[in-house]
Amino acid sequence: MSDVTFFVEAPTEGGKSRRGFVVRAIRHQPAAIAGLVFLVAMTITAILAPWIAPYPLHQQVGPVFGHPSWQHLLGLDDGGIDMVTLLIWGSRTSLVVGFAATFVSMVIGGTIGVVAGYFGGGTDNVLMRITDYFLVIPDVPLMIVVAAIWGPSLFHIIIVIGILLWTSTARVIRAQVKSVRERVYVKRARALGAGHTRIVLKHVLPQVAPLLIASTVLTVAVAIFDETALAFLGLGDPSRVSLGSIIESAFQRAAISTGAWWAIVPPGVLVTLLILACSLVGGAIEDALNPRLRVAHLSARMFRIRPLVGRGQDAV
Amino acid sequence: MSKRWLAAIPVVAALIFATTAIGSGTKAASSGTFRLGTANGIDSLNPYVAFNQDAYSAFEYIYPVLVQYDSHLHFAPFFAKSWHHSKDGKTWTFTTQSHAKWSDGKPLTAADAAWTINIDIKYQGGGAANEAGLISHIKSASAPNATTLVVHYKLAPNPAYVLGQFQQFYILPKHIWAQHLGRNGAGLKTFPNNAPVVGSGPFNLVKFQRNNIAIFQRNDSYWGVKPKIEEFGLQQFSDDDAMVTALQHNNLDAIEAVPATAMKTLRNGGFVVSDVPGLDQTDFIVNSNPKKKHHRELLNLKVKEAFDHAIDRKKIDSVTFLGAAQPANSIIPAPAGVGWHDPHLKTVSFDLKLANQILDKLGYKKGPGGIRVAKGQKMSYDVVAPTDVQSIPRTFQILQTDFKKIGVKLNEKALDSSAAFALMSGPNNTYQGFDLAMWDWTALIDPDFMLSVVTCAQYGGWSDSGYCNKQYDKMYAQQQVAKTVAQRKQIVWKMQAYLYKQRPYLWLANDDSVDAVSKNWVGFKNTAQGPFNEINIQSLTQVHQK
Amino acid sequence: MRGIDYVLKRVGFAIVTVFVAVTINFVLFRLAPGNAVSNLSRVPHATQQLRHALEVQFGLDKSKWQQYVIYLKQLSHGNLGVSYENEQPVSTNLRIALINTLPMVTLGTVFAIILGTFTGVLAAWRRGTKTEGASLSSALAFYAMPTQWLGLMLIILFAGIFPTGGMTNEFLLNPPFWTHMKDLASHMFLPALTLGLTLYGEYTLIVRSAMLETLGEDYILTARAKGLKPRTIVRKHALRNAMLPITTLIALSLGYIVAGAILIETVFSWPGIGRAVYEAVLERDYPMLQGAFLVLTLSVIFFNLVADLLYFKLDPRITE
Repeated sequence: MSDVTFFVEAPTEGGKSRRGFVVRAIRHQPAAIAGLVFLVAMTITAILAPWIAPYPLHQQVGPVFGHPSWQHLLGLDDGGIDMVTLLIWGSRTSLVVGFAATFVSMVIGGTIGVVAGYFGGGTDNVLMRITDYFLVIPDVPLMIVVAAIWGPSLFHIIIVIGILLWTSTARVIRAQVKSVRERVYVKRARALGAGHTRIVLKHVLPQVAPLLIASTVLTVAVAIFDETALAFLGLGDPSRVSLGSIIESAFQRAAISTGAWWAIVPPGVLVTLLILACSLVGGAIEDALNPRLRVAHLSARMFRIRPLVGRGQDAV
Repeated sequence: MSKRWLAAIPVVAALIFATTAIGSGTKAASSGTFRLGTANGIDSLNPYVAFNQDAYSAFEYIYPVLVQYDSHLHFAPFFAKSWHHSKDGKTWTFTTQSHAKWSDGKPLTAADAAWTINIDIKYQGGGAANEAGLISHIKSASAPNATTLVVHYKLAPNPAYVLGQFQQFYILPKHIWAQHLGRNGAGLKTFPNNAPVVGSGPFNLVKFQRNNIAIFQRNDSYWGVKPKIEEFGLQQFSDDDAMVTALQHNNLDAIEAVPATAMKTLRNGGFVVSDVPGLDQTDFIVNSNPKKKHHRELLNLKVKEAFDHAIDRKKIDSVTFLGAAQPANSIIPAPAGVGWHDPHLKTVSFDLKLANQILDKLGYKKGPGGIRVAKGQKMSYDVVAPTDVQSIPRTFQILQTDFKKIGVKLNEKALDSSAAFALMSGPNNTYQGFDLAMWDWTALIDPDFMLSVVTCAQYGGWSDSGYCNKQYDKMYAQQQVAKTVAQRKQIVWKMQAYLYKQRPYLWLANDDSVDAVSKNWVGFKNTAQGPFNEINIQSLTQVHQK
Repeated sequence: MRGIDYVLKRVGFAIVTVFVAVTINFVLFRLAPGNAVSNLSRVPHATQQLRHALEVQFGLDKSKWQQYVIYLKQLSHGNLGVSYENEQPVSTNLRIALINTLPMVTLGTVFAIILGTFTGVLAAWRRGTKTEGASLSSALAFYAMPTQWLGLMLIILFAGIFPTGGMTNEFLLNPPFWTHMKDLASHMFLPALTLGLTLYGEYTLIVRSAMLETLGEDYILTARAKGLKPRTIVRKHALRNAMLPITTLIALSLGYIVAGAILIETVFSWPGIGRAVYEAVLERDYPMLQGAFLVLTLSVIFFNLVADLLYFKLDPRITE
């Protein structure tokens, strides 16, 4: 495939540790700080959902599409359920899907990227071809087949999204690993007889870590977006409330024509803010890796628009 | 984030760019056009392929049918002016309209009717399978002259049954369809029957675009009651919201099915919203296959009775259907025509104490977690929930909570409808694949179809309950050949009472048919099947501007 | 020669990918339970005879390998199978739908390019100022919004001003050409705007970074020293530099945009290929889904190839 990628180096700021790099990257960007704070706040809210949700999740507490009031700040949905409660539980599911799917894709993508970049040659070719073929698997039919055979459960959605998202991480990591591999100290370690595992763990991974983190954060954004899209098409887990399913039921139950904007605006705003936060944080890390150009790659989204465009091609 | 408002700049620019596009004729069409909105639509113009309600309703207006239902759901003449049957009941003779024409000018005669019946019989195992139910028990048909149709039966069917079947039977033009038989009638299914369709009815279908629009124009050479409007259109929307919004902004004159959540808004907006009992029922299915291997306690009628008492139908009506529904109690819904519904059947009461008592008496003690144990197995079941029925998730929540209170655990297993049916009827039509499920049925006016879905013959066909009972099958056969309508009614009531105790289905809600019409139009009639229906042609022939 | 090598390599690769995509498509849909027989044989008095006839009709009585070969053969003739829903050729259904989608998607892409270029140039030129921040923030904000939700928001805002569903007013009978065009444009506006707003963020960033690259170059410094107007500098030098990544980006996007239209067309009831996919998902019309996704996959592969070749042609710095 023709994704053209950046490969960037984590600048070695004489003496300072690699680990601090990410923190420093974010610290210089107020927007990214705001994003990180928001993410942390949402995650805590999601974890504490059973305790902080104001009303029970499936209980009707008022009329259908009840107006916002002091007891129900964001009104009620089409089942008379409190919107704030729904949003808290919904973001919990969305974040679970986001993080879990990202974890799956990071493990797969990171591994493949490291192996391909480090060993190069034939291994690299084979792995990259496999990556390219994964790029052409259409998401929605895969989701349908999974839903039809195994049932539309949260677990299956996570697996499906994870399987679809690892490719961009793999390519980015691979490019980075390739450049690291050529460094003097790596060559020296090899000459001294250090094993591959040791070199990867001790020398390669730390260099790759900031990029991996950036990629992880950006993938979470896409995973959340994908979950919303799948729920909208009716392919979500019907027994779970997620931000995507809240939008979907408002759509199905005629929220707009009833004038119940509160059933449809808040979940979308939350999703937007989550994705924005992830993009800002991930973008900040990437920016720090290559300060001059400041190109954040708005990575794969919406049925795989993948404009990883920039200078240079995959290093040969 | 105040900076975000700067994003409005490009939006405004785009708006200015598109100013020329504003206000371009989206207001009311000519006074002779009635614009109807639907969220379902016509899936195919071919009666051997079509499955959707809207398709059949369309056929009602463009193809001749021998009889139709009048406002009181009694049979009324249509293409058949009169009819009688032989003493032994096996031969029916219909006198059809004379001097009738198809929309392409060719004569429409009883020969077309006979031909349609005969090829449906001939190819019932192949291309004409969709119509197989309507010609069952018919041996052959003939047309001794242009206005006489003679139908020969293998046995003597009940008169209401015969007319009920022919009420749904669309007569096709032989001169068009005879060219499309193909091998073993397979061509019948692949003929697209594109617009303009050659038919004969108050309207001609002149334009059709899938998922979009169907335009019907008044047929001025029609042999029956001419419509008051010049034409009507059926516009399909992908969701209810878009449809309701279109009505609110005067881009539509009426919508077929109003979502419960929009009823109040539309009433407040000055639209005429009609809410009448409908023919759709949601159910809770208990696998009643007598050869079932697992969880055989579910075959115990007492267990099913306990379950029935754990269903809060009032709550389901108000939460899931927002009050636009009635509690259901029988396989034949109350609005089914002419008293087919047994009025003696009472809705099962919501009584958790009684349900618990029944289960206690059976000796199913509550174990850890409050879940009862029946014959060594926990009463914890997967409930197959097909995703094509929107009301299921909310209803399931209600059932799950209440069943927990009687010591039964329900787990929702969502599957799409074809996977659901494959699981439930599998493996290989042995109905071993499930314990409990939820689904819905849309009944017809004539009870025969609904009564057939729990017969042994429907294994692998319409049966989603695995129910198979010789005594019931006997009654089913009897009602088809009862001598008089009154006798048939007695048998049909007996069958309902029998199923009431056997409980293959625990009936939940019978939802209403709700439509909405702009107040500028009158005569658009809502029925149990909606305003645009297969019952008769009243709505679109009588509707007109005030 | 190096150039031809590259071209051949990419084309060859595209062809192989097509083959893999076709195979994956086939396997995916054979895995799904519920085939022609279970969907279509639920008629009264269904018999074994009927079921067998259906199996033969859809070729399901043959071995999987045989089915695969038949599938490939049919594909080479452009036969994408027959839809379960209306028993018509999938290719016919899709062709009509695709024709409906293209104008809307084209307009949306045009919106995105205009918006993206405008905000990208603004951001680069006003580097380090609030304007840049605002440009970037709004680009990112729209990008982050779920497409279907953005569409719904626009409906809430514009209902009554623009039509919110359908492609044309179907009840305008035989309208004169310009009325029809106006009608089409008014229906197309909101879906295209949604698409444009969702897409433009990427273009903004690319334009901006390309401009920044160029603006830092020495010859720009020279031009400014010579007293050339900023507008001239931007137009003549910086923007030209951005052509490469923008063109590549557009080509890449095109492949995916048609697929992304699923959400937009569903929200706006637009009778295009996206909506056809949605309805096919609802009905589990597997042949339609299989056909649609093959078409979409092929378009992705095709446009990626175009982007590859364009990039090769336009970038003199490629080392192979």
